[in-house]
Amino acid sequence: MASTQQQHLLLSPAELAYLHITLSQQPPIRADGRTATQFRPLTAETGILPGTNGSARVCFADGTEAVVGIKAEVERTRKQGIDYAKQRRPRNKQKQQQKKIAEEEVEVGDGESEDGDEEGAVHEPTGDSDWVKMTVEIPGLRDDDSGTVFLATMLSEALLADGEFAKKLWINRRFHWKLYLDIILISSPLSYPLPLLSLTTHLALLATRLPRLKSEADEDPMFDDDWAASQFIYPRQGDDNTSPSTSGTRPPITLLVMAVGDNIIFDPSKEELAVADSALAVSVGETTGDADGAVDVDEEGKASRNLRLLSVRTIDPPSRLTAPGIPNAVNAAAWGQGAVVAKDPGARAAETDEVEGVWKAPRGGAKIAVLGAMVAKVLEKGGVADEVLEGLYGVELG
Amino acid sequence: MPLDTSTYDLALLRVDGRRWNELRRLDGQIRTQAAADGSSYLEMGNTKVMCVVSGPSEDKRRGQTSASTATGSNAADVAVSVVVAGFSSVDRKKRGRGDKRIQELQTTISKALASNLHTHLYPRSTISISLNVLSQDGSLLAALINASTLALIDAGIPMTDYLVACTAGSTSSYAANDDRADPLVDLNNQEEQELPFLTMATLGATDKVAVLVCESRVQVSRLEGMMAAAADACKGVRDFLDQVIREKGHKMVTEGTIEKGASMAIEIDA
Repeated sequence: MASTQQQHLLLSPAELAYLHITLSQQPPIRADGRTATQFRPLTAETGILPGTNGSARVCFADGTEAVVGIKAEVERTRKQGIDYAKQRRPRNKQKQQQKKIAEEEVEVGDGESEDGDEEGAVHEPTGDSDWVKMTVEIPGLRDDDSGTVFLATMLSEALLADGEFAKKLWINRRFHWKLYLDIILISSPLSYPLPLLSLTTHLALLATRLPRLKSEADEDPMFDDDWAASQFIYPRQGDDNTSPSTSGTRPPITLLVMAVGDNIIFDPSKEELAVADSALAVSVGETTGDADGAVDVDEEGKASRNLRLLSVRTIDPPSRLTAPGIPNAVNAAAWGQGAVVAKDPGARAAETDEVEGVWKAPRGGAKIAVLGAMVAKVLEKGGVADEVLEGLYGVELG
Repeated sequence: MPLDTSTYDLALLRVDGRRWNELRRLDGQIRTQAAADGSSYLEMGNTKVMCVVSGPSEDKRRGQTSASTATGSNAADVAVSVVVAGFSSVDRKKRGRGDKRIQELQTTISKALASNLHTHLYPRSTISISLNVLSQDGSLLAALINASTLALIDAGIPMTDYLVACTAGSTSSYAANDDRADPLVDLNNQEEQELPFLTMATLGATDKVAVLVCESRVQVSRLEGMMAAAADACKGVRDFLDQVIREKGHKMVTEGTIEKGASMAIEIDA
């Protein structure tokens, strides 16, 4: 659970109740006149810092702004020799034990020949989540603040979830790229910055280029000096020199979705978040073409994007900490009979029951059906995630 | 990587082809961010800095992570926090907020601005300035001071004059003990690594020095020349900042954001 009360919003219970009622209508009426799935406009640019491998800047309409810079360094893959042995031994042991159970005679030569095979063969790229390091800077918060750490974890979790990303950083068996993603929130955190940081990171990753490798196999890596010959980590479709394993994928995006009653609302402003019954951070990745995990049946037959759910996190909405309104029935100031009512057993019920038009902080978790609906709505074909990815695709890479 | 500056004597040109009194390319913008009270973006060569000012606002907690000029007096508190991005230098290097160099930068900027701003107009309040270094190539302190001046003007906080800063160095190192050493202005990172230099901030085009920071060893006989060169360079920087602000002001008037002839009456004497 992450907490979102970085900036406490001063809204009275009456205002909260009003917002809650308008948002729970069918269709919901939002304060800024958007539809439930509509995003606020944003401005984005990439390649703003020539000193980095990839960079991006995004400004949201509410005035929040973030800059992401990505730097890559070549690092020696240190642990591999040890890891190799560690992984191998127990497996062989198990295998041997299984064989012992199955048969009396054990062929030990089997395992050794496997070793020989692997060394001679072309090596599949491997990856390690340690190869990516993500830091988040939020003005007014310490580096080790739980909110900052949580944001960084959530973003890197989405990036590393499918295990494909780290493989892109593989150079050869001895070396790999170490990627540093530094995410800086320039403005003060006016609303929960997760979607902003996620979209900026997405763009920066799309713009990230690594120099072209000149050396072969397991030599010490040598790179092409020509930056024009460098290769995108996420090559665009139709580009040359894309390896089949990496073509078509895109970095993940994390969207903030909230629910009020049965209504599902995207890109909530901070006022809307203040009355949310529940909020979710949904990370979505994209794979086009024949992804092995994709079960979707492509009925249209055209190469549309397959959205993959990478992770879901519940966000603790600030609405839980708001003060409740007091119904007139128990309000001593309104009728001057508070003392009498307090003795009445019905008064207790009035305090805990829902009274129409009186604000009460949401209690308990979100309903399973609502959570499911929120995730489904994100993943929907032609839905919001689709639209956002399409929009970000339109940002030209500088 | 030590830099060979001995070629300077041959053509009197520096490593990047400038003459001794030439500034690097300057580029500035104000009001870059909608939500802030004041904001600016400044490039001095390859040093790129963003500044966001919020305030004057009611005193919250006295900043722990930022340097501030918290005094017992009734004047506004100027809280400065500098964030140096990990990707700003050539090799990626992460600096925490507790870093001593950053703290010193914060204190220097905060003291200099507090002396220049009319803080007495905002008793019991805080003006918080957050600076982000996106790319660094020398003259960092100077760029930070210039960017905060721009952002403070955008925020409309009254001040006596532009606070402008620039660096100045000397063509030969301390050990060389060369008498014919020329002063240089607006050093880049390569030059800063090898040559003695100082950062000086003056009040506008005057010779009033607000900040003078020198962290390298330099012969005292050369100091005067360096300071004179820095003061001249500060005039150039001031003209540039003035131009940025006038252009923005002109744009706002033509776009109709501000009525023509509108003026703000502020009681400065208190």
